[in-house]
Amino acid sequence: MADQANFERDALQYSRQLYSAAMRMARNPADAEDLVQETFLKAYRAYNTFEEGTNLKAWLYRILTNTYINKYRRDNRRPSEVDLGDVEDLYLYRRIGSEESADAARTTEDRVLDGLVESEIKEAVEGLPENFRMPVLLADLEGFSYKEIAEILDVPIGTVMSRLHRGRKAMQKRLWEFASQRGLVPEGTERP
Amino acid sequence: MSHNCSQATKQLYQYLDAELDEKTASSLKSHLEDCGGCSGSFDFERRLKKVITMHLEEDMPEDLLAKVRALIEDEKTVGSGY
Repeated sequence: MADQANFERDALQYSRQLYSAAMRMARNPADAEDLVQETFLKAYRAYNTFEEGTNLKAWLYRILTNTYINKYRRDNRRPSEVDLGDVEDLYLYRRIGSEESADAARTTEDRVLDGLVESEIKEAVEGLPENFRMPVLLADLEGFSYKEIAEILDVPIGTVMSRLHRGRKAMQKRLWEFASQRGLVPEGTERP
Repeated sequence: MSHNCSQATKQLYQYLDAELDEKTASSLKSHLEDCGGCSGSFDFERRLKKVITMHLEEDMPEDLLAKVRALIEDEKTVGSGY
């Protein structure tokens, strides 16, 4: 069992990462700060139940996720802004262009990847319904394994994989919309 | 077993997330070496994933850590019965 005396030394190193995740969950700085504070307080109180040598980062994320769900879910529900329907694989890549030369296609890819701005990426993630947003955040922001994500969210690993897959495709569709609105992609080019 | 394009695409995210077992990953990797189409799409997805990760990070407010430490200090005082 972990010693509360070591809590600050061991746990606070994850604060910046937890804050990033909290921002993407709560979507505003004031709530994100509250969320991080409450997470650390709960974690401190429960630290003597944490088994030393196991995955502290995942344990903290589990507390963060549960705190968010209990505290904010009710007022944070909003209709999905993304299409979670049948989006095909490689949605963005396939649309970026089947231009005459591989070089031209590569140029468009670069323009899209370099041109997408922070606010667009954030909006694409935040627009996902919670069930899909959480696995995407845990995988892409934190690099947790599917098994860790399953434990943090308390869902089967197959569910993690399918939500991650659908969530990422839905994000790509949204990013495509941003890229076309801003003219980052030539019109009417699609890979066969 | 070696991969074809549709199997490769199906396992794309598992591959990029390093979730495939060694044998499957190496079979997929050898398909990517032989297949220009798949290596193009995998490369794009890998770069996109990096861009997403980079843009999701957030700077923490400077005083947040101090607030957390203060909360914990308070809790210690309560906990020790004063």
